[in-house]
Formats: sequence, C-alpha cells, structure tokens
Amino acid sequence: MDQPGSRLFAVQFSGTLPAFDAAFAQLRRALGEARIANTPRFKIELAFEEVVANIVRHAAPPDGGVADIRVVLDERDGALVLTFDDNGAPFDPRARPDPTPPRSLDEARIGGLGIMMVRRTTTMDYVRTTDGHNRLIVTIESASDFESASPNARASD
Amino acid sequence: MKMEITERPDGLVAIALDGRLDTPGVESIEPQLTAQTVPRGARALVDLNSVEFVGSLAIRMFITLARALAKKQGALVLHSPQPLVRELFETVSLERIIPVHPDAAAAAAAAVATRPA
Repeated sequence: MDQPGSRLFAVQFSGTLPAFDAAFAQLRRALGEARIANTPRFKIELAFEEVVANIVRHAAPPDGGVADIRVVLDERDGALVLTFDDNGAPFDPRARPDPTPPRSLDEARIGGLGIMMVRRTTTMDYVRTTDGHNRLIVTIESASDFESASPNARASD
Repeated sequence: MKMEITERPDGLVAIALDGRLDTPGVESIEPQLTAQTVPRGARALVDLNSVEFVGSLAIRMFITLARALAKKQGALVLHSPQPLVRELFETVSLERIIPVHPDAAAAAAAAVATRPA
C-alpha cells in the first residue's frame, strides 16, 4: 500500500475501541507536529474517526476475532492521502446509499451519517486487495490549506 | 471532554461543552447529559463554542437527546458552533430537525418559544 510521497504518519493496531482511541491520539499528535491547517486537519480526523469506528464496530474478519487495521497518511502531489487497510469482511463504503435528509426528528435515521460525512468532505476510492483486505483511500485536496510542514515531524513507517 | 450544566433564571438549562465530541468525548458526557435533562423535560441550550470536533456519534447523541426531550415537552437548541462544525451540521441537514443558532441569545429566544402552553 506504500506509494511515493511524504509519509506523515503510520500506525497499525487491533480493531478494539481502546486501541482505536490510542491510535487517534497518535494521529492528532502527528497532525499537530506536521502543522496541518485546520480545515484539512478536521477532514483527516473526521475520516479517521468514522472509517475506523466503522471497522471496529462492523468489520469482524470472516474467521472471527477483531480486525487488524493499518492507517497511513501521506502528502502526495499537494494532497493529503489517508489509506485504511483492514482484514475485515468486505465493505465498500462508496456503495452505501446516503441517508435521506430528514424532515422531522421522528423520521431522522442515525445510521450511515458517518460515511456520508466523509464522502461529502473528501474523495474516496476502494479496492479489495488480492490478499483479501479492504483498502480505502481517502484524498483531501488541500494544497492551498497546507501550512509548511516541518521535515523532522514526518513519522517513519 | 468537559461539560458544565447551569440553571438559568428563565428556566432554561444551559450546557457548555468544551473539547472534542469524538467517540470517547461523546461516551464521557452522554449519560450525564441525558440524566440531567430528559427526566424533567428540560429546554436545553447547548453551547458549542469550545467544541473543536464533532463526529457522527455526536450527531446521533443530539438527535437521540432531542427526540427524548420532545417527548417530555422539552427542547434541545444548539448554538455558537465553530465554522467547521457548522459546515458538518449542514452536510447532514441537522438544522432541519434541531435548531442551531449563532449565539446564546438567539438560542434562548428559540427555546423559550417552545414553552408548552
């Protein structure tokens, strides 16, 4: 899943809520150190929150247990690219229809909001890899929002 | 995630949130927020001025709370969201079902207007 570009962050963890919380805290520290501007930072954090929470809650591997999750963040051609890789059940979030905009409180559906928010604030691509993993690539076009990154803030893989 | 709940002289309940409404943030406040507003059907003003991030779990919490309050003749009104948070609310059309106002005064006026006859 590694492609040319500047690696800003990489983490691998098991699909449990405590591990998710710890990985999210690491990501936030890395974003601060790399001085990512507010708008792309918000979108990155939103994508991480929603995509990983979805994997943790719904993507148990076919053989049981919890999913193994790997997330990397690269800067590539002026865009920020988040790649999520997991060994859970096949799931292409792009195929999920958006919830209908609610007309009343009673009518409002809660499921599916997270994926919709990510889809509407980023560009998403998905592949099922030959080794049976989900790979979701979330791109945030943010060249104009990028503050100068500190070279020594880049995390090694 | 910090939460401060105060009673206002006009009978409204002011709730100031400070921090991030991500998964751990929501889990840390939702039980207390529900317990202190729903049983008495509060008309609750939630100040989001110091909330820098919201995820879908926070949207779910607000919808669930608003439904529960409405059943008790209460109301939920949000106010003062930061620009990125407000944009996210617009993305999911939250303002169609829960009032979101730019400041506390407008939110209070809206909450008072929901007072049962």
